[in-house]
Amino acid sequence: MAMFSQNPLMNGPNYSFSDAPKTSAPEGSREHRFDPYTDNGGSTLAIAGADFAIMAGDTRLTSGYSINSRHHPKVFKIGGTTADQHDATIVLSVVGFAADGEALKERLDSICKMYRYRHGKPMSVKACAQRLSTILYQKRFFPYYAYAILGGLDEAGKGAVYSYDPVGSYEREQCRAGGAAASLIMPFLDNQVNFKNQYVPGSGEGHALQERERRPLSRNEVEILVKDAFDGAVERHIEVGDGLQMMVITSNGVEEILLPLKKD
Amino acid sequence: MDHRPQAWGRPRDDVYGAYDYSYLQSGGPKQMTQSPVVTGTSVIGIKFKDGVILAADNLASYGSLARFTDVKRLRVFLGTSVVGFGGDVSDMQYLDRHLNELAIDESYEGGGAQEEHGEKGKLNAANLHTYLHKLMYRRRNDFDPLWNQVLVAGLDAAGKPHLSSVDLRGTAFTSPSLATGFGAALAQPIMRKYAATEEDAARLTRDQAVKVVQDCMKVLYYRDARSLDKYSIAVVTKDGVELKEDEQLEKQSWAFAEQIRGYGTQTV
Amino acid sequence: MTSIGTGYDLANSIFSPDGRNFQVEYAVKAVENGGTSIGIRCKDGVVLAVEKVVTSKLLKQGANKRIATVDRHLGVVYSGMIPDGRHFIDRARDESRSWRDTFKTPIPTADLASRMGGYMQAYTLYQSVRPFGITAIVGGFDSELEAAVDGVVGSGPSVGAGGKAAGKKYGGPFLYMIEPSGLYWGYYGAATGKGRQAAKAELEKLDLGSGALSLLDAVKEAARIIYVAHDDNKDKEFELEMSWISGADGPTKGLHQEVPKALREEAERLAKKSLEDEDDDDEKKEDDKMQE
Repeated sequence: MAMFSQNPLMNGPNYSFSDAPKTSAPEGSREHRFDPYTDNGGSTLAIAGADFAIMAGDTRLTSGYSINSRHHPKVFKIGGTTADQHDATIVLSVVGFAADGEALKERLDSICKMYRYRHGKPMSVKACAQRLSTILYQKRFFPYYAYAILGGLDEAGKGAVYSYDPVGSYEREQCRAGGAAASLIMPFLDNQVNFKNQYVPGSGEGHALQERERRPLSRNEVEILVKDAFDGAVERHIEVGDGLQMMVITSNGVEEILLPLKKD
Repeated sequence: MDHRPQAWGRPRDDVYGAYDYSYLQSGGPKQMTQSPVVTGTSVIGIKFKDGVILAADNLASYGSLARFTDVKRLRVFLGTSVVGFGGDVSDMQYLDRHLNELAIDESYEGGGAQEEHGEKGKLNAANLHTYLHKLMYRRRNDFDPLWNQVLVAGLDAAGKPHLSSVDLRGTAFTSPSLATGFGAALAQPIMRKYAATEEDAARLTRDQAVKVVQDCMKVLYYRDARSLDKYSIAVVTKDGVELKEDEQLEKQSWAFAEQIRGYGTQTV
Repeated sequence: MTSIGTGYDLANSIFSPDGRNFQVEYAVKAVENGGTSIGIRCKDGVVLAVEKVVTSKLLKQGANKRIATVDRHLGVVYSGMIPDGRHFIDRARDESRSWRDTFKTPIPTADLASRMGGYMQAYTLYQSVRPFGITAIVGGFDSELEAAVDGVVGSGPSVGAGGKAAGKKYGGPFLYMIEPSGLYWGYYGAATGKGRQAAKAELEKLDLGSGALSLLDAVKEAARIIYVAHDDNKDKEFELEMSWISGADGPTKGLHQEVPKALREEAERLAKKSLEDEDDDDEKKEDDKMQE
């Protein structure tokens, strides 16, 4: 009788084989489980120069198609002596799951602070980078779902950028894009920072083509690259927009710049 | 008489067959909240010139059943902040009791008349938000989440309006206007027309902001099937909290319903 | 003292042959040396006040509070050994918190007094402990609204089964005093410490049982009584500390709070004035006598 009612009969002859409803879930698994992760969108970007590094990120915070906030920074000064971080020398950007990102930031910040109190000097970027990797790897089986980038100046005063995956694998790089629009920005950076696929005109054919010689970019050039990269990302990715936050790390400290991005 | 207590209150084996004792097993992994049960829908909030307004309707739903119709989802903390709860009502009650305890701990210090110490209420809304953020994030790390999204309204340490949100995963953020649940889709666009930026919000008067919130509550009642036309509204300023818990939506017009096509009984 | 040398005063849990626990009596002596504290239960609230003897010029004025909040609606003041009082308050806070945990509602003043009375009494029973060197005055205002449940979500049925009981009276102001023996009584006016005799005499004049005194007047009376009680101890400086609790519609909205500075100072001014007037009267009488 049930098959004539409006309601589909579970396991009954109502459906073709292809769209039959799933029988009850296998033993032990539940239909609805708590998922501790979400993706809060956004994008980050870091470029190292000869004597500076620029860390940048948009300020939009999303969940699904909703914009939760138009001003939620994901680039943070780390390891200053006080809460206002006025004397910080290292900058961390996090993108992915915002709550994990924030927790990660706070842990690294307090570790850097402890280091400062104990040793009477700020942590080097190199040491901080290794420590961050350890923190991430320690949570290997319940990871911080965050793509971190760490920026600062190395012992020689050169710009340093370290990029991470969520479980602590890391690498020092010239530049790196992270987050939602990473796949849009990274190829642009390859071309514009590392001059990939740029050749000296008329230098030959095929493999004989000579690559354009790399040279360090000036701060001004990098700032323009960052702005262009984000303007492009905003145009093509819905989770990126609202505001652009830039931290410029030089031997004089960290300068913060906030610029508008499209809000659509 | 069967003298084994395990057999009491169970169907008789000779009539109904052997009882399935697997239901009684107490071993196995600890069960924690896997989904909300009795729920409240949207909470909305907007900043204005000298404070913040929070509103939520008075309904607690059990699935699609409108189960409790006089539920107070806005809770005052220390007389200076308000927390608005969306999501599971039992978790809300737990949080409310927890915050109550926190408030009593606060009253031990200072022991009243705080104006003498030049600091009115030591835990402000920004502090409260940080606390709730850490609490909710901790619970998600334990895989035992408090199934809520809450809005915190009040003033920060500088005496500026503060409005912020935390959800069951510990995601925390602030904005000139905020809405949970359906409100994020239905009310937030309306509120952003009036308070797109902090500067816009700082120009809104109290009356304007109340009007915006009332309009939003009406839209939510029109379109959110798990909503009610009775609601609570709280205005938080430096003078404290004005909480009205028995407001009624006024001047509803369902004329627009006739214009809706595409489902229902219309043939054209 | 007759008990000295008999051995019966050396420990708790031993009665003397005439049925006394000397340790408890010595604890009472400790209380009698402490600054005077009083409590007044009036029509619409409770006032607690203490004479805080200034033991050093190096202490900050108004710091080191002697009246403690135990729960939102409960205050405690005590005379005697201050560390003992601090512990008493810790325990009272634990008791009222655990009451909230189990019953989801604030502890009634009477129940707190009962539990704390029991706690103090337990310290008269064992060899290994000594009694509390304090007498505590517990003041509270049990909500006159229908007993609220913490975290309650709705208002419940307005009539019928499970509904409101018509005309039922809830709560009100309450005052208890607990002594080192664990003995506690409910009072309209309570006084303990060095100046208790004078304070009690003044409290008796107020006719508190009739419920005529208002909370605001009680604050002024409390200040005056502390000043009167201090009179015998004139050489020492003191600070007046006062707290009050009203109902939900009163000035403290059902909370235990310190009396606002302005009101306290006004009450102190009136207290000083009334003392001076009395002195003038005394002088006048003496003058009259002389003339006779």
